[in-house]
Amino acid sequence: MHLIWEEVRVALPMIWHRNPYLLSIIWFTLQVAAVATAMATAIGLPIALALALGRFPGRQFLRMLANASLVLPPVLVGAILYLLMTVQAPLGSLRLIWTREAVFIAQTILALPFIVALTVAAIQALPEGLLSQARLLGAGRRQLSMLALREARIGVIAAVIAALGTSLSEVAAVTIVGGNIYGYDQTLASATLFEVDGAHYADAVAIAIVLIVMILILMCGLGLLQQQSGGIRMRFRSAT
Amino acid sequence: MGYVWDQIRGAIPLITHGNPYLMNLLWVSIRVALISTSAALVIGLPIGLALGLGRFRGRRALQILANASLALPSVVVGIGLLLLLLPGGVFGSLQIEFTLPAVYIAQAILALPYIVALTPAAIQGLPPGLLAQARALGAGRVQLSLLAVREAKIGLLAAVIAAAGATIAEVGAVVIIGGNFEGRDQTLASGLMDQFNYTGHEPLVTAIAIMLLVLILVMAGVLTLIQQRTGGIRLRFGTA
Repeated sequence: MHLIWEEVRVALPMIWHRNPYLLSIIWFTLQVAAVATAMATAIGLPIALALALGRFPGRQFLRMLANASLVLPPVLVGAILYLLMTVQAPLGSLRLIWTREAVFIAQTILALPFIVALTVAAIQALPEGLLSQARLLGAGRRQLSMLALREARIGVIAAVIAALGTSLSEVAAVTIVGGNIYGYDQTLASATLFEVDGAHYADAVAIAIVLIVMILILMCGLGLLQQQSGGIRMRFRSAT
Repeated sequence: MGYVWDQIRGAIPLITHGNPYLMNLLWVSIRVALISTSAALVIGLPIGLALGLGRFRGRRALQILANASLALPSVVVGIGLLLLLLPGGVFGSLQIEFTLPAVYIAQAILALPYIVALTPAAIQGLPPGLLAQARALGAGRVQLSLLAVREAKIGLLAAVIAAAGATIAEVGAVVIIGGNFEGRDQTLASGLMDQFNYTGHEPLVTAIAIMLLVLILVMAGVLTLIQQRTGGIRLRFGTA
């Protein structure tokens, strides 16, 4: 264990002493996680509701597409975005490449499949009569959507957790479209890669430790929220 | 869209003429996917079965741990493994840092959580009476496991698809532990990422991206076919 122990011993003081570089990466990572997860949820929930509740031709195919998009390699998404954003490309005039905005966009796109596919699955797993009953009782589109989201909330929160997880730990797309620029658009994950490239193992270990702790805290927080919402749901159930 | 179209037109000949660099990347990716997924399956399936079928203390805690390990960032696995394999590390004497075997190990570790976490989930999704009945009829541990694997085949194959997808698509650990050496341990995914360290290689970028997409689609397609076929057999038994 010599080597690991040595690196961790050098790494811990960097965290205690709030190394400014480390703080700036932590701050940017939180921003990326918040923006990407929020945007993906805002865009993905309506799509998921339409796919799960809508009755239009081709929804079966679109659902399959949503599931398939879960295995899309992030490095591929990064490459495609690069080809769209680079200077000569269709979106080149927006000057997005190697900016923070590009990182936000890439992570939103990567988080989107989780929200869409897992929310659709959660709604489809609801007891069969529930939604058709609401429909028969004359629930409009909006009421039906609200009901579906409320009843499937455990699954929806699981989708948000998965989306948050990728936006925190993904490195490939972030590095490609963001350029992994020191002190500017590095996340904890991409900064780990950067420090390993430079053989600064202690720095990499310090960043990796912070990343793990951040993921644990956020996941546990959302997991608790999920369990609690389950409890509320159970209470409603047993009251009727 | 002229730019994107030009890229694709430049990429096609590289693929059809079997550019040696491209073919090498493809071959490494296939080997990594096969070896790492198999290793994860061999190690993970018994653990997953124990978690899904066993009745020992701490089973729930272990299951939560298995679910949490799904959120393990690849860069953290990469740096942790690197510190074990570097000279001075615990396994430094093996001298496999920055080689293909190290990449196999890293990808197997990253694929393992999918098998271990999704196997109990698939088993717990079986009709409740099924396994209890088998137990009551005196099925031993091995028989019970075989029954669970056969009945939960669809869920298990979904786990294998997720695991194989990770071994093909992931870059964080591959780059750190393999060093991303061209022609030695570069996969399609890490090769694609490497292209963005230079400029002016765009046809090659597009060619790698296309091949990566095709590889993922073929893998997911073949495994889904197997999955659906076993599903059909099971359905027939069910209605009989």
